[in-house]
Amino acid sequence: MILTEKEKSILDGKDGKLKQTALENVVRYADVLGAKELCEVTKATVFCGAHNYLNVCKTDDFQELFSKMNLGKDEKVPFDKTHENCYVQSCVAPCDQFEYKALHQSKNYFDKNSNFVDECRKAGVIIAGSCAPYLTGWLPVQGEHFVTTESGVTTIGNSLWGAMGNSDGIEAAFWSAICGRTPKWGNHIKENRYATHHVKVEAEINTLLEWDLLGKAVGMKLPTSSRPVIDGDFKNVNFTKLAQFFTTISMASNCEICHIPGYTSEARDVEDAFRGNEFQGEITITEEDLQYAYDLMCDDGSADIEFVSLGCPHYNIDMLKKVAEYLDGKKIHERVHFMVWTVYPIKSMADLNGYTKIIEEAGGKIYTSSCPTTVGNVFLDKYSNFVFDSYKQARSVKSDTDKPVYYGDMYNCMDAAINGRWEEDNRWKK
Amino acid sequence: MEKITIKGRGAIKGIVEGEALVCPKSIAGWGGIDPATGIIKEPMNVNKGKTIKDKILVMSGSKGSNGWSCYFGAARAAGATPKGWLFTSIDSSSGVASAIMQIPTIVDFPEDQDPCDLISNGDWIKMDGNTGIVEITKK
Repeated sequence: MILTEKEKSILDGKDGKLKQTALENVVRYADVLGAKELCEVTKATVFCGAHNYLNVCKTDDFQELFSKMNLGKDEKVPFDKTHENCYVQSCVAPCDQFEYKALHQSKNYFDKNSNFVDECRKAGVIIAGSCAPYLTGWLPVQGEHFVTTESGVTTIGNSLWGAMGNSDGIEAAFWSAICGRTPKWGNHIKENRYATHHVKVEAEINTLLEWDLLGKAVGMKLPTSSRPVIDGDFKNVNFTKLAQFFTTISMASNCEICHIPGYTSEARDVEDAFRGNEFQGEITITEEDLQYAYDLMCDDGSADIEFVSLGCPHYNIDMLKKVAEYLDGKKIHERVHFMVWTVYPIKSMADLNGYTKIIEEAGGKIYTSSCPTTVGNVFLDKYSNFVFDSYKQARSVKSDTDKPVYYGDMYNCMDAAINGRWEEDNRWKK
Repeated sequence: MEKITIKGRGAIKGIVEGEALVCPKSIAGWGGIDPATGIIKEPMNVNKGKTIKDKILVMSGSKGSNGWSCYFGAARAAGATPKGWLFTSIDSSSGVASAIMQIPTIVDFPEDQDPCDLISNGDWIKMDGNTGIVEITKK
């Protein structure tokens, strides 16, 4: 592998043990991939909280746990500094920023999470607590190398912005945030980004839920490691719809880049997306594919409900405005825990604009920094069924529990929350 | 007993042998294994209920979320580590998992030597991460 003089000096320990260890990991990772050199990373999102998978380490000592789990080291290498050129922001944690009782968590656990997050802040991570880092200005530009812990953001970054990133994972995101390098491999090389499959969309795609379903329908049909170009007669496209689509396709497949002619940065048209690359197959998406995707995720029947959650990925301020406008003067059923998830600064904007007050007067609550599946079973176990407006959240919770999961657009979900019941009429149909 | 030899790219050095556990459709990332025991808990997985601990783990690649590697990293921390790893073809998530596991790993096999096709659960595997050579003894 070709390393720069600077990288060699980091590996020699000249910049300290932490950077040295992080770069050793990146080099080992690059060797595994077969990469020939590294590239400089200037945007990173990292996973900071006291997440449930960390419980295998029987310690509450953040630094011991960080070394073991994120650096793969049994000796303690304190995490005390992120790279000076990298904009590092935190992804979701398993707790709301302020609430713990409402999420059925103990004060001890909440304090442990707050401590973990704060240790990362002290090391230079900007605490945002969001799967939607773009809501707070984390926006890698065309050609910029990034790492992220959120699979949907990998696909948004590559596809929409033309930035360069792989789905490498939680540990590697920390390594890159510390040493400012990642293997030059996969999506970090221009030639690896051209389309492989032509996806012809015959179904009419208009609403946010239809874009969500399109993500699942395409994801299910994509061969492993393919790069689709999505070809359809789309109208009223906006960022919220595209972000929802990219989030769901990344959950439903291992897609990391997806071209949509006219909308994404490396596809003026279908031919441009391929750039002469070998055509490997055609996929057609019909209305039936969308219906099939929907029926997979929304359980049959009607039921009294207890749990309605909106906002995966985290809602932007316009979505919160829509929720407030719809709930104004209405009341959520007393049995229902109605929650809307976003990032802290957007919640502050909702406070400023009066949306929080309207939602709370209706009996709902805006939460930040997490989501139901990330909080986990300590929370989910308290409810007998769930209603979501996001395929990803519904799918994640479905694999965490055996209980009924219902899925619909935000208005269907709010109607269900008001009535205290999910009805067959709430189901999506064309 | 029938013996087959195949060759991929040695990604992490080391020579190990052990019993194969083959996951042709990989294992789901976030929550796919119990890291404390290494037991696969993904509902639809063909090997649900079996452990990755002390096995030669044979996989197509990774699957699903950016959280794929951390459950394997957690298994390492808990001591539920496989002896070695074979990937039909490497990808970024499986690359990170290998780098954190630090166990002998061989990847990127030729199309006609897919370890997921040639190896079955219980076969005895000798693998050399230095040369990329895998010796399969069918059970």
